[in-house]
Amino acid sequence: MSQSMETPSTNHTSEQPTLPRHLQLGLSDEQVIAALCGMQRAREVDDRLWVLSRQGKAHFVITSAGHEAIQFGCGWAIRVGHDYVVPYYRDMALALALGQTSLDLLLHAMGKPTDPASGGRQMFGHFSSRKLRLVSGSSSVGSHIVHAVGLALAFRITGETDIASITFFGEGATSEGAWHEGISIAGVHQLPVVFVCENNSYAISVPLKKEVPVPDVATKAAGYGMPGVIVDGTDIFAVYETVRAAMKRARSGGGPTLVECKTHRLRPHSNSDDHTKYRPADEIAAMQEHDPIQRLLAYVVEHNLMTQEEWDAARQSIRQEVNEATTTADRVPDPPLESLFAHLYGTEEHDA
Amino acid sequence: MQTITYRQALNETLRQELRRDPDVMLMGEEIGVFEGSYKVTAGLLNEFGPKRVLDTPIAEEGFVGMAAGAAMLGLRPVVEIMTINFSLLAIDQIVNHAAKIHYMFGGQASVPMVLRTPGGGGIQLAATHSQNFEAWYAYVPGLKVVVPSTPYDARGLLRSSIRDNDPVIFIENLALYNTKGEVPDESDDNDYTVPIGVAEVKREGTDLTIIAYSRMTVLALDVARRIEDEEGISIEVVDLRSLRPLDRPTIIESVKKTGRAVIIEEDWHSYGIGAEIAATIQEQAFDYLDAPVRRVAGVEVPLPYAKVLERAALPSDKHLTKAIRETMQGVRR
Ligand SMILES: Cc1ncc(C[n+]2csc(CCOP(=O)(O)OP(=O)(O)O)c2C)c(N)n1
Ligand SMILES: [Mg+2]
Repeated sequence: MSQSMETPSTNHTSEQPTLPRHLQLGLSDEQVIAALCGMQRAREVDDRLWVLSRQGKAHFVITSAGHEAIQFGCGWAIRVGHDYVVPYYRDMALALALGQTSLDLLLHAMGKPTDPASGGRQMFGHFSSRKLRLVSGSSSVGSHIVHAVGLALAFRITGETDIASITFFGEGATSEGAWHEGISIAGVHQLPVVFVCENNSYAISVPLKKEVPVPDVATKAAGYGMPGVIVDGTDIFAVYETVRAAMKRARSGGGPTLVECKTHRLRPHSNSDDHTKYRPADEIAAMQEHDPIQRLLAYVVEHNLMTQEEWDAARQSIRQEVNEATTTADRVPDPPLESLFAHLYGTEEHDA
Repeated sequence: MQTITYRQALNETLRQELRRDPDVMLMGEEIGVFEGSYKVTAGLLNEFGPKRVLDTPIAEEGFVGMAAGAAMLGLRPVVEIMTINFSLLAIDQIVNHAAKIHYMFGGQASVPMVLRTPGGGGIQLAATHSQNFEAWYAYVPGLKVVVPSTPYDARGLLRSSIRDNDPVIFIENLALYNTKGEVPDESDDNDYTVPIGVAEVKREGTDLTIIAYSRMTVLALDVARRIEDEEGISIEVVDLRSLRPLDRPTIIESVKKTGRAVIIEEDWHSYGIGAEIAATIQEQAFDYLDAPVRRVAGVEVPLPYAKVLERAALPSDKHLTKAIRETMQGVRR
């Protein structure tokens, strides 16, 4: 693994030994609390989607449980509405981190005309918002990363500086041809793009060993002319520090980076999966100890950013908010039949 | 006879073929431990082990090409692609390689591989999980393309496909997996096959011919039964079963008898299988027609997720019924 970039230093003691991690990173107490609540909101929406799928109201559910620290950590590193973000289906928490709401996600899951991602056209997990510069792709695994490369190329051609694109994918996606072609072009042209691998060590049922021939996805970066960095994806601060550095490097003309965030998929792949069939029971039990929300909560409590009572109240109000969003989304009428052909061809004018 | 599902027919046939011929092997994403996205390969990893039931990385172009390579050495790989939508990632290997190797190398090497994959919509998986690309593959000389509609045909055609020396695209349909039908009991199965390139008249009639394949055959048979009961119109249903080679004589013979033809397909209207059938009828049975040939097909949009929109975009019994009535009245569009 090459590490020719500014990487997370594990030793901060030289500067201010007593300062809590978030302050060292320049994050306020409020930002940390907001991220914790956002991660909980993602989990709550996730829970709700599984219920709605059993009720036949949300046909397809795909979870971000276990990936929230990666996505909220990256959320801090992204200049929202400025940098371009090309997510994959696992990134519900990222959509929230960038500013989408529980209601936005529920409208998407229920296929309502006011679904901001697609107006009820695309299945859940294809998050998008022009305003947030959140760019959705197709469903073919790995095929979207080339768009992030194209966006980065466009910045260069139009002479935009101080901007980067960032794209997300699982470790399984790194077997696809499009993934290799995209990251290779980014390396050849040293484009301003950051590749974030959310490595949960499974592609549906297939374990890491049978998908990736080396233990770390980050190793692949070496062949594509960019640094590859490994980070603990359950540690929101480590993710932020690493991805912030990678984004800074990209924005300032230093070229692309591959960041591998290691985590666990705490739930089955989707609502058509039962992972107890292929994951050992002790593995399923043990990974609950690595829940990124619990990890950040422990930090928040330890540093007195919130008391347990305040957290309980916050959770309660998040649940209330998701309840209301569910009711609201459910009441929205289905898309009108006349809208079937809308958006087939582009007639709208877009601001860049 | 016994009644089994389309999924069971495929699963048992794969098992039988793996037992029968040591050169047969399976590969694809999630086919081993997970038993296939639609559970068609259930139990096969356990019985035959990881050498013959290979879980691949997510690399469609890679493993389809790998199957073509292995097939050139005489193995008979049966590749599963999760859905036909993702077969597009392997299209270079299918069209520029598998389909052409035998011809372009002057017959020196065969590519006896099967690519199994489901197409179809109707279960709210949206555009990029619900398409039908049989017309793309049926267009390519060098490929064979089969589209069974019943458990019996699924079994017979899968046997033929695996034993065939050329690449066969074996197209299933998401909404057919749970449908049931009769197949012979194991004791008197006789290892029957359904030949590639032979259509079947699934229902006889005298007033009008419906030409269909895959899931649309099931829909056509329902509609034909109902219309005959309610309106006394006698409808013949031709199930194509194979798209390449296409059994033109069976279509023509039926249309010459009934004088009217309605074609139903789940894929998009323009440039589809229906266009090829209509042209064939025009070329070979024009003088026998009492009404213009009609096509019923999908609305030309990427299939939307929202249930109401999805339903509006897919061909249905209502569309077919209307086309039949209009054809019987000689109404021109
Ligand atoms: C081209 C293509 N092949 C297969 C699939 C089916 N599929 C969807 S998700 C997935 C697993 C991806 O695993 P990974 O990249 O590790 O991401 P994770 O889901 O673990 O976050 C597969 C095989 C697909 N959507 N697209
Ligand atoms: Mg994974």
